[in-house]
Amino acid sequence: MDATFFIAAGIAVLATLRVITSYNIMHALLYLVVSLLAVAVVIYVYGAPFMAVLEIIIYAGAIMVLIIFFVMMLNLGLETSEHEKAWLRPRIWIIPGILCLILLGEMLFLIIQNRQPAGNIQVVEPKAVGMALFGPYIIAVELTGILLMAGIVGAYHLGRQQKKISHRFLENFEL
Amino acid sequence: MSFDDFLSLGPLITLSAAAVISMLLVAIRRNHRITYAFSLLAYLMAMTAIIPAMLFIPHTIPPLLVIDEFSLFNTGLILVSGFIILLLSYNYFEEREERKEEYYLLLLLATTGAMVLVISRHFMSLFLGLEILSISLYGLIAYLRARERSDEAGIKYLILAALSSAFLLFGMALVYAFTGHMDFNGIGDALRQTGHLPVTVMAGFAMMLIGVGFKLGIVPFHMWAPDVYEGAPLPVAAFIATISKGGMLVVLIRFYQDIHGNEYTMLWWVLAIIAVASMFAGNWLALRQENIKRILAYSSIAHMGYILVAFLSGVQTGLEAISFYLVAYFITSIGAFGVLIVMSSSVQDAETVEDYRGMFWRYPWVAVVFTAMLLSLAGIPLTAGFIGKFYIVMAGVNAHMWFLLFMLVINSVIGLYYYIRIIAMMFKLPDTGAGSVIKPALPVAGNITLMLLTALLLGLGIYPTAMMQLIQQMMKMIV
Repeated sequence: MDATFFIAAGIAVLATLRVITSYNIMHALLYLVVSLLAVAVVIYVYGAPFMAVLEIIIYAGAIMVLIIFFVMMLNLGLETSEHEKAWLRPRIWIIPGILCLILLGEMLFLIIQNRQPAGNIQVVEPKAVGMALFGPYIIAVELTGILLMAGIVGAYHLGRQQKKISHRFLENFEL
Repeated sequence: MSFDDFLSLGPLITLSAAAVISMLLVAIRRNHRITYAFSLLAYLMAMTAIIPAMLFIPHTIPPLLVIDEFSLFNTGLILVSGFIILLLSYNYFEEREERKEEYYLLLLLATTGAMVLVISRHFMSLFLGLEILSISLYGLIAYLRARERSDEAGIKYLILAALSSAFLLFGMALVYAFTGHMDFNGIGDALRQTGHLPVTVMAGFAMMLIGVGFKLGIVPFHMWAPDVYEGAPLPVAAFIATISKGGMLVVLIRFYQDIHGNEYTMLWWVLAIIAVASMFAGNWLALRQENIKRILAYSSIAHMGYILVAFLSGVQTGLEAISFYLVAYFITSIGAFGVLIVMSSSVQDAETVEDYRGMFWRYPWVAVVFTAMLLSLAGIPLTAGFIGKFYIVMAGVNAHMWFLLFMLVINSVIGLYYYIRIIAMMFKLPDTGAGSVIKPALPVAGNITLMLLTALLLGLGIYPTAMMQLIQQMMKMIV
């Protein structure tokens, strides 16, 4: 337990609190990204650099960017451009930006120092993770594939454009 | 993985391969009948694959899976139930939805998930199996897009299942943080060395109980059950009531045995309170319901309470009782939902008690089947449900749990009221001026299936010895 852990963990808690208390969806999503980055730093401090990178690439990177894209794209309509202008005001991104800068500084500090992980913990190398995943845990990897297939098939069926069913008496009205 | 591992996992591999192949079949050509026939074939092949797997038991595939008599028995039970649900589904979906093929795909995947649950001995396989099951069920519950209530049910299940999975995962993390093991045996050994339950592990178990309790639909995690049963397509409701709950129960038994749960009185008391609450809540809430799907939902909550009583007895007989009760409960639940499916028209579900007024005089044969199923749910002699309940009482007496048994008897009497009410409605004289009577579909395949289920029900009720011997032999291995 040292200062780097407390700073990163504090940022994670703070950012997550802001995720659930803010009304603006863009604001909440930006804070969620910050929270995930902070958790990645915590994992790095505890000697799992591979997990930390995965956390950033998969959660903060792919999934969150995808969600932000969807939110931006689905908000179609006349007021869209004004919305987007409102989202880019400094008030929205200044605090998440500062938190990210703190995390970046901490990360650089840790990398430059190149010291041992906090506490009495064994470092897990990427190679060891790969050997475990495709050795004894190969069945788990395959089951995950099945899990994704179930998700995709379900989403495909439910996401299909539904035929508009309205009552025949309503057909003449403009809705 | 060695050749033995492949043969032992035969049923699982067959079914998951069938899911992939049927996806490709759908991609090549959409045909309801071909997909249906292929799924039936897949279930039959998976059942056949149990036979070579029997040569290697007990067989452990470290670190995730274990295949022994107990898991093979339950694999068989799940496959047979899935097969019967599939038989009942064809006509139900023929008229209702334009794209029916994905239903079979999701059903195969959900069954795969349940099969992973019954062979798992590790947190990771437990969680993966549970998620495969839940994620397929999200799609299945909301499958009929045109119906407004199915969306509601799907969203409700999605949010609550995701939340309960998060609790389960967090609980597992706490247990792992203390014991340093994720396989059940390792956790059991680590706890035995400690000699008591530390607060971390206790909190972890409590959080896991939320995840497990949600899937089983026990009080206080039962709120979703009636709404989801009402909104889901009928075969899917039958699936949730039987396979999804059964799979979870089996893995709970294995976990409890492996961590020597009976040695910790705290766990016993928590489960005992949940059992009593489930029995009372299920039976009381069912009393005033007018919708048969909701009645069956509440009755399944109560039945999980009965099963927990046997679970808590901690004696050999208790485990046998659970297995027997599960078999009886599977037959009865699928039978009851089967009657609902057969009596539904091609557009509307026959779901209110009023829909069954005078059914005996119009469709005597189906009414007799439904009566048998309801009497078995109530636990009346000559049905499998009676033997199951008798077995549970025997286990309770062996363990001297008089209070829990007393509660069970009171609840059986309360339960009798709402089962008998439906039966009485069926034997009333029909209204002459009724305008909106549902025209039942009465498909041939459905009728034959119901006949088989009734035969099984009465067979187990009159001559339970064969099944009991099978179960006793199986349970010797696990205790």
